[in-house]
Amino acid sequence: MHKRTRAMVAGAACALLLGVAACSSSMSGQSSSDGMIAQLTFPAEVSDTVGGLVNYNPYSPNPLTSTWLYEPVMVRNGLSCTITPWLATGYSWQGTNQLTFTMRDGVEWSDGKPFTAEDVAFTYNLMHKYPAIDKAGIWNDTFGAPATSVTASGDSVVLTFSGNAASKFDDIIKQPILPEHVYQSVGDPSKYIDKSPVGTGPFKVDSYNGRRLVLARRPDYWQADKIKVKKLVLEGSYEASEAALKLKSGGLDAYWGEIPNPQKAFVAADPAHNHFYYAPAGTTVLDFNLTKAPFNDVRFREAVSYAINRPEISAKATYGIMKPASQTGLKLPFTDAYLPSEYTDAQTVLPYDAAKASQLLDAAGYRKGPDRKRTLPDGSPLNLTFSVQAGFIDYDAMADVITRDFNDVGVTTKIETNAPDSVDAQKKSGDFQALLEYVDGGCQFATGLGARLASNQIPTKTDVLPNVERWRDAATDQEIAQLSATVDKSAQKQLVGKLVDTMMTQFPVTALVYAPTRIIYRTDKAVGWPTEQDPYAHPADNRLLIMTHLKPAPAA
Amino acid sequence: MKYFLRRIAFFLATLWAAVTLNFIIPRLEPGDPAEVMVRKLSGKDAQLDPAAVKAMRAMLGAPDGNLLRQYVRYLDALAHGDFGLSYTYYPYGVTEVIGHALPWTLALVGTTQVLSFIIGITLGAFAAWRRNSRFDSVVTLGSTFLGALPAFWIALLLLFAFGYTLGWFPTSGGYEDSIPGWNGAFIGDAVIHSILPAVALLVTTSVAWVLGMRNTMVLNLGADYIRLAKAKGLADRDVALRYAARNALLPSVTGFAIALGGLLGGSVLVESIFDYPGMGRLMAEAIGNKDYPLLQTLLLFIVVGVLLANLIADMLYGVLDPRVRRTPA
Repeated sequence: MHKRTRAMVAGAACALLLGVAACSSSMSGQSSSDGMIAQLTFPAEVSDTVGGLVNYNPYSPNPLTSTWLYEPVMVRNGLSCTITPWLATGYSWQGTNQLTFTMRDGVEWSDGKPFTAEDVAFTYNLMHKYPAIDKAGIWNDTFGAPATSVTASGDSVVLTFSGNAASKFDDIIKQPILPEHVYQSVGDPSKYIDKSPVGTGPFKVDSYNGRRLVLARRPDYWQADKIKVKKLVLEGSYEASEAALKLKSGGLDAYWGEIPNPQKAFVAADPAHNHFYYAPAGTTVLDFNLTKAPFNDVRFREAVSYAINRPEISAKATYGIMKPASQTGLKLPFTDAYLPSEYTDAQTVLPYDAAKASQLLDAAGYRKGPDRKRTLPDGSPLNLTFSVQAGFIDYDAMADVITRDFNDVGVTTKIETNAPDSVDAQKKSGDFQALLEYVDGGCQFATGLGARLASNQIPTKTDVLPNVERWRDAATDQEIAQLSATVDKSAQKQLVGKLVDTMMTQFPVTALVYAPTRIIYRTDKAVGWPTEQDPYAHPADNRLLIMTHLKPAPAA
Repeated sequence: MKYFLRRIAFFLATLWAAVTLNFIIPRLEPGDPAEVMVRKLSGKDAQLDPAAVKAMRAMLGAPDGNLLRQYVRYLDALAHGDFGLSYTYYPYGVTEVIGHALPWTLALVGTTQVLSFIIGITLGAFAAWRRNSRFDSVVTLGSTFLGALPAFWIALLLLFAFGYTLGWFPTSGGYEDSIPGWNGAFIGDAVIHSILPAVALLVTTSVAWVLGMRNTMVLNLGADYIRLAKAKGLADRDVALRYAARNALLPSVTGFAIALGGLLGGSVLVESIFDYPGMGRLMAEAIGNKDYPLLQTLLLFIVVGVLLANLIADMLYGVLDPRVRRTPA
């Protein structure tokens, strides 16, 4: 509570400062003559910092940075789904149970020792010995069969699985690779406090005083020609209004958190240098509990999806930045290559049509009583309780619009605000009627949209699994199983098409607006950030991808 | 002697109850620490990765086994002084995490508690001595007014006025650019950062002492021994300080001891507002992250601190005021 009040004060302070035209302070260009950017400042990567508790171990829950020191084998662009080779130059699947990476030559660890395929095999094998660092689920049955061996020979690394493991790919390539010559003798890597990191990344630690981490460019980095930032400072964890103040004053060059209405709060202060790029990460959806009446009735679900005013949700919850979402569950237009032909020309963003909703509800037997409130077909009262996480401001705004829209068509709806933990508990127990959820728009449909609809992904007593709405359908399960077992594009497209069809005709979940990933940045020192016109990186992607694109701003 | 033994038995019984409650209460809250941690890393608009949750559970190793077994293990670990590893700062041990936060709180809250006690007692005593004077009205009314304002509100006001608007003081953190250690630059840095939170704490904590002291002092001033002292022709100053104030101080001693005991908890709200790296903010973090080991140890620290302070105050009281020893409780 105090945090929010504090944000309000900061906002008020800014407004007051704006009055005296001091809220935006101009910054002098910082590009130096050597074609380099002298310094950039990003927010700290950990929010909790008791000063002096140093740890760079990328497999600990709270490393001071998990981006700039240790690198993954490949980097996926979450928007275009293209893969950028990183420590590996390429990969290939043999069937769906064997994956081979080819490792890059000439990469050196920051202590001068050569990086080899052995290091990669060592890292993956370490996850076998210590399940606590197996964040990719390589050695267990999460999203596919467990691995049976990981071996290195020459410049290639081969991962062999006991069955189909195609869906593990995105998690596998993300894992930071550790130096065998350091980590082989530290015992349990999850308990290891790494104070002098040895990585392959573009930076090395220069200093850390408990608040401010200063990273220095490595001239011997394997793609040093692409790194133009000489000094990278990670400092501070900010809330929206503080972040906006810091960004405007130049105390921060980029921010990945949420700033409500960035156009007004940040860009307006200096439209030439202040920019933001919000890209869809997935879809915010309305989940009904499909095990309960009337939500188990597809006619009810279809009817109410026309009752929702999506443009208003977009305006109220996202300041019009995130567009109303397609009911297909896909991020359109970015993944429209997967759209089945019958939907390519169709309007898949459901229109706001209260009359149609009322008509469909009438036809399905949900008639209005004398009090203008609808009842179930058997005449018992229809009362919908909408469970919303307290403090999720955009969710609150969405729930407000939906509740009003539902009441307008006679579906009595009320909002119940709960602590996020309690909503998670409801997801586990199934003791809810409606809530807001998220459909992952990731590049692997089997673990994104697929996991949302698979009956083996229904939450359990102990785990919040993706299928919160509890969609249970044998045909869908079959399609998802096939989808997770193929790496062939055309087969994928055909199977994704079937899932899209389920979404469009069965309404297992109701799409509302796209959910954002964000980057907010200033271009007075560095240019080359991702934009809508050049979305080479998704804001949520590994920031290494952005770093290799940054160039000094042209002298003004 | 019986009095002291009874006090110690009472101390042990409350300690056991506190330790047990300390074990139970965090477990009654909904939420799974592993999920909370993964969610924090992935953000709100993201699907929880089951593989990551699985790994995080394996890492934190918690909570498993039935409650009774967990309880026995917890008592056993406590008896061995093993407080476990913090989830938030894993794999750092809880004691090490607390070791980093404690000096900040001791410096900030400790100093302000002692200062506010001295200031509050003095103001209260003078107000009572000169009761109904203008000084008394200002002090009494002022403290009543300030006492009604919550500490966090005063802190926000200070932050807004002197931090954001005037820009005289830094708005967050315990220090900025300096390297922590015994060097002038760091100490200066830390002092500048502690001024606003210290003022916020001073204003709110001294108020209670003022009113308490004034009221007991007024009661004491009406007592016969004061009249006698005055009749003896003792100087006003002596009567006020040596007779009245000394006796009026007694109840405040207990209060002060308890306040010092509670000091270990820091000030959650004020520290959080100024992002001050002390025990209070650490507690807020531990709650937010479902960091059971850290949270339990912090609560234990506070409870033991308060109980010990109470015990000492009780003992001292027995020494200071012979009447207490005689009355059967």
